[in-house]
Amino acid sequence: MGDKPIWEQIGSSFVQHYYHLFDTDRTQLGSIYIDASCLTWEGQQFQGKAAIVEKLSSLPFTKIGHSITAQDHQPTPDSCILSMVVGQLKADDDPIMGFHQSFILKNINDAWVCTNDMFRLALHNFS
Amino acid sequence: MADKPIWEQIGSGFVQHYYQQFDTDRVKLADLYVSLTRGLNTASKINTDASCLTWEGEGFQGKAAIMTKLNSLPFQTIQHIITAQDHHPTPDNCVMSMVMGQLKADQDQVMGFQQVFLLKNVDNKWVCTNDMFRLALHNFGA
Repeated sequence: MGDKPIWEQIGSSFVQHYYHLFDTDRTQLGSIYIDASCLTWEGQQFQGKAAIVEKLSSLPFTKIGHSITAQDHQPTPDSCILSMVVGQLKADDDPIMGFHQSFILKNINDAWVCTNDMFRLALHNFS
Repeated sequence: MADKPIWEQIGSGFVQHYYQQFDTDRVKLADLYVSLTRGLNTASKINTDASCLTWEGEGFQGKAAIMTKLNSLPFQTIQHIITAQDHHPTPDNCVMSMVMGQLKADQDQVMGFQQVFLLKNVDNKWVCTNDMFRLALHNFGA
């Protein structure tokens, strides 16, 4: 861990923290967003900590588990971190589904917060 | 189109242009990336605008390294189809775009992919400072 670039360390720690909170008590995810944060969830847009947490809290499953297949992190020109996650999730007794999620993390007042969050289920129409 | 937010217009315009260039002549993608040496002066040791690409987990920085990678990809023909795309404004006036799609390279099977771009306006032009690509290879088990 010590020899990884700093953005990798911050990005992967965030990702671990995010999915841990999501899988245990997603009503606690408010702590990582700010009022300027944007979420796009399956194409639907939400802005601000309150609207985002309300959306996440109201998702229609009681149990969820995420497992991460791959994650990438990059520093951005404006000293943020861009993270992309490919993974799988299992909600209640539904079949396992793939998902894609991307985050921008920004350091505000010495804390890393998520300003941008995009989520999509990996539902492809392979014909 | 006119009533879409500006970041949607910029993001979807970029995405359309990017995959069109990729599928027809990917050498031309160079125009979209920022080189390591652009704007360097004696005072600055690094160009913080230089583009980064992570391709299937492998990192490349600067227009030259990115183009060497993209040009050396081992297929003759490729076609991308976009399943979904999302665009956000970021706190630093950039546009973040996430694309989910399918691609067909040569005679290989159709595969899913995920790609994320960060676009920044540099000298009145939208360029790609960050690019991450992964094939959607999931291991769903038995």
